[in-house]
Amino acid sequence: MTRLKGELIRLPLYLAGLTMLVPFYWMASAAFKPVPELTRNPPSFVPGDPTLDAFHEPAWDPGVRADQVVAGLFQRYPDVPGGFLRFMGNSLFVAAAITVLSLLVAALAAYALTKMDLPGRRVIFVVVVASMMIPWQVTLVPNYLIVRNLEWLNSYPGYIVPALAKAFVVFFLVQYMRSIPDDLVHAARVDGAGEFRIWWRVVMPLMRPALAAMAIFVVLAEWNNFLWPLIIVQDDTMANVPVALSRLNASNAFNPNNMAVIMAASLLTSLPTVIFFLAFQKHFTRGIALSGIKG
Amino acid sequence: MTTALIEKPSTAQPAGAGKRARWRRAVPGYVMLLPFAGLFAGFLVWPLLNALYFAFTDFNGVRPPSWVGLENFRRLWFEDPRFRTGLVNSLIYVSCTVTLTTAAALALALAFRGTSWRDRVLRTIFFLPSVTSTIAVMLIWRWIFSGERFGLANTVLSWFGADPVSWLSTPHWTIPLLVVMAVWGGCGYGMVIFVSGLNAIPEELYEAGRLDGASAWQQFCYITLPQLKPVTTYVVITGLIGAFQVFEAVYIVFRAVSSVGGVQDSGLMLVPYLYDMGFTKFQLGYASAIAWTLFLIIFVISMIQLRVTRALREL
Repeated sequence: MTRLKGELIRLPLYLAGLTMLVPFYWMASAAFKPVPELTRNPPSFVPGDPTLDAFHEPAWDPGVRADQVVAGLFQRYPDVPGGFLRFMGNSLFVAAAITVLSLLVAALAAYALTKMDLPGRRVIFVVVVASMMIPWQVTLVPNYLIVRNLEWLNSYPGYIVPALAKAFVVFFLVQYMRSIPDDLVHAARVDGAGEFRIWWRVVMPLMRPALAAMAIFVVLAEWNNFLWPLIIVQDDTMANVPVALSRLNASNAFNPNNMAVIMAASLLTSLPTVIFFLAFQKHFTRGIALSGIKG
Repeated sequence: MTTALIEKPSTAQPAGAGKRARWRRAVPGYVMLLPFAGLFAGFLVWPLLNALYFAFTDFNGVRPPSWVGLENFRRLWFEDPRFRTGLVNSLIYVSCTVTLTTAAALALALAFRGTSWRDRVLRTIFFLPSVTSTIAVMLIWRWIFSGERFGLANTVLSWFGADPVSWLSTPHWTIPLLVVMAVWGGCGYGMVIFVSGLNAIPEELYEAGRLDGASAWQQFCYITLPQLKPVTTYVVITGLIGAFQVFEAVYIVFRAVSSVGGVQDSGLMLVPYLYDMGFTKFQLGYASAIAWTLFLIIFVISMIQLRVTRALREL
């Protein structure tokens, strides 16, 4: 009886959970609707006649500009080799490179700060932690100028190098590394192992859960990163997915015929992150919990 | 967050090791620190100082910056109506978003804290917006609030016999819509933190409460809420900081033809204004003054957080 009552109280919350999904459902269904169905009033909630035209429009002819025919997503960007796949490739490559490199750099720093007797390490750590309260937008203008002077605008280094100094990752890894017994490190030292060897062979394997949690954080953040790429990307070839998406939107803002294409692109942008998240959910929520509780 | 600094004193010192030996042994450590330190100095500390310098200059990115003293800040705080609009919008948006998101996150955490499959599925659903590309999400919202009758929001209105609303071009709808999107997008994140906070509360407290005859509501008020205080502070503060930094929602959903602030600047906030000044009007000095204003606001919030967490720890 009380259980039934509990379920009844939670009913509105289940409904809220359902409405949470409405925007996603709307996106996914719109991507497969033929154009006339998109603007039907009242709207159709189930695609009556599902089609892949939003991805590849068979009737599209670049020479003919008819009203009802718009280029499918993969037929856009005729001057970009690979079209939309190229943007996904850019996003993937940049996110992967930043994740691997920034985690290595941060893990090295965290090891030096926790497991080695460095004069001044406490001051260094305080500076790193303090930097976490700087909103990164403050460095936007100067970083843009630095990257421009290095002639890295519109290039992978421009994406990757400024994103490698992640104070939060160092902070998180230091917290976790403190729980690894110093005796392990001492024992390895007594056995004559060098510091790099201890870091890589002894400490890093034990850091796996923390590294996994951070990797998921960084991958998702970089795949979705928008403002920095928006500023440094100048031609379509180097766009990542969010920038490509915003340009797609800007150039076709008020043409409902393009809505299906924009929704198809949105679907291809969010689907990988959702799958990735579902696959690694455990690590991810653990990472949030660890970082949240330590506050 | 700096409260975790207290650590065990290092016992690595062998007897008789001199100061020089200590430095020599530290060399590999500094080498390991070097990549991070270099990137940290080059792309964080140096830009930060640069931004401070630019804030006192007139600078368009092409000609060398010329020193103008406090002129940018004077203009910003005393003469610039757009900045005032942006600041007021930010304050309204931030206060509404943080209050509603925190309340929703706590309610969801209380409802779905369990380990049953239903709770886990619901938690995942509420968390999904946090991992989805903001741009994609904002494009969906843009369509849902389309002013045409095929917009989803207007369809729902029409079920109740109401006339379609042109959501995106009516200035007084801008902030409410932004708040709705932010709560939808942010409640799952807070929920996850609250769930781990709830699970850390010792069960004995509730047992004692029940023995004393406390009702569910009393248990919530006198056990759950006080025990959750540090977690709540964390959720609120990170929420505040995040909300002050909003950009994509304004840029994608409400971008007007001539500026990034939406119709009549109704969605203009600090970061959109910073972007507009810096990267569409190329007043980089002025943009840096806005950036430092944002920094100061967030700095004050972080200081309050430090104070509060410290006070809480001393309780």
